[in-house]
Amino acid sequence: MTLQQLIFLGLAAVIVLAALFVVSTRNLFRAALMLVVSFFGIAGLYVLLDAGFFAVAQVLVYIGAISILIIFGVMLTRGMQGMEPRNTQAVGGAVVAAIIFGVLVLLLGPFHVTINNREFGNIAWNFAKDATGNAPAVADTYIASLGVALVDVNQFALPFELASVMILLVMIGAIWVARERKVAEVQADRRDILAEEREEEASIEAAKAGASSTGVPAVPAAPGLPETAIAHGAGGHGEH
Amino acid sequence: MNLFANAIHGIPLWWFLVLASALFCIGLYGVLGRKNAIAMLMGVELMLNAVNINLLAFWRYIAPNSATGTAFAAFIFVIAAAEAAVGLGLIISVYRSMQSIDPETLDQLKL
Repeated sequence: MTLQQLIFLGLAAVIVLAALFVVSTRNLFRAALMLVVSFFGIAGLYVLLDAGFFAVAQVLVYIGAISILIIFGVMLTRGMQGMEPRNTQAVGGAVVAAIIFGVLVLLLGPFHVTINNREFGNIAWNFAKDATGNAPAVADTYIASLGVALVDVNQFALPFELASVMILLVMIGAIWVARERKVAEVQADRRDILAEEREEEASIEAAKAGASSTGVPAVPAAPGLPETAIAHGAGGHGEH
Repeated sequence: MNLFANAIHGIPLWWFLVLASALFCIGLYGVLGRKNAIAMLMGVELMLNAVNINLLAFWRYIAPNSATGTAFAAFIFVIAAAEAAVGLGLIISVYRSMQSIDPETLDQLKL
C-alpha cells in the first residue's frame, strides 16, 4: 500500500461522502458547504494526477467563484429553504443513477468486457510508456505547452476565442435576465401575455366552430396568473 | 486480470474512472431527485467535476505530453463557470417572479 494509494483512498472517501451529503440534505446552506469540501477533495486529486495547475484552477474557479455564487443564490432565495429534499421522482432517479453507475463500472472498471468484438476495460486502453516501459513523467512545461496550444492557430485558438465570446455573452445575459424590474413593467408584461392567450383561445374556438364534427378534443383553459402575489413581491423589491 | 496493471505510483487508471463514475451518478441523482433548482445546479456541478476527473486521469495515463487533454479540461472549467452564472441568474429571476423555484411547479413558460 503506497502512500499515494492511501492518499487517493482518503480523498475519494471525502469526495464521495461530501457529494452524498450534498444531494440528500434538506439544509441548502450545508449542502453548499459540503460541495466546497468535495471540490477541495477533487483539487487534491488533481495534485495526485501531477496536474497542479488544475488543482489551483479548481480552487480558484469552483470554490472561489461558483460556490460563492451558489451561496449567494441560496441566500437570495431564502423562502425556499427547509422543504422536503426529495421530489416525486426521486426513487426513479436513484434507480436510474444506480443502473448507469453499474454500466459505467462494467465498462471502465478493471473487468475485461468484450462486446461485438470491441474490448472495454482497463486492458483495452493504450497506455503511454517510455523506453523503460513505465508511464512517462509529466513534463515541467506542460502548462507552457497548454498556453501555446491555446493560441496556436493549428490547435485550440478558435475554441479559445469562442470561449471568450461566450463569457461576454454570459455576462450580458446574466445581467439582463436577473435585472430588477419595476412593478409596472412586470404587470405590463403579464397583461401582454394574457392578451395573447385570450387571442389564441378565441382563434381556437373559431376554428372549432368552423371545423366539421371530427371530435376535436377541447383545449383546456389556461390557469390565471397569481397577480396579487407578484405585485406584492415585486412591489417589495421596487421600494428599495 | 492484473488489477494494478499500468499503475502510476501504485494507482491504476480504473480507480480514477470508477471514482469519476460514482461522482457522476451521485450528481445525476442530485439533478433528478431534488426539489430545489439550486440543489439541481449543485448536482450539475458535481457531474462536471466528475467529467473533469475523468479527462485529467486519461490525460495523465494515456497521453501526458499532449496538450489536448489539458485544453479540454480547461474549457470545461470555463463552461461550467459560465453555466453556473447564467443558471443562478435565471433562478433568481424566476424566484422574484414566481416566489418559487420548485421545478415541479414551474411548468409553464410564463412570468
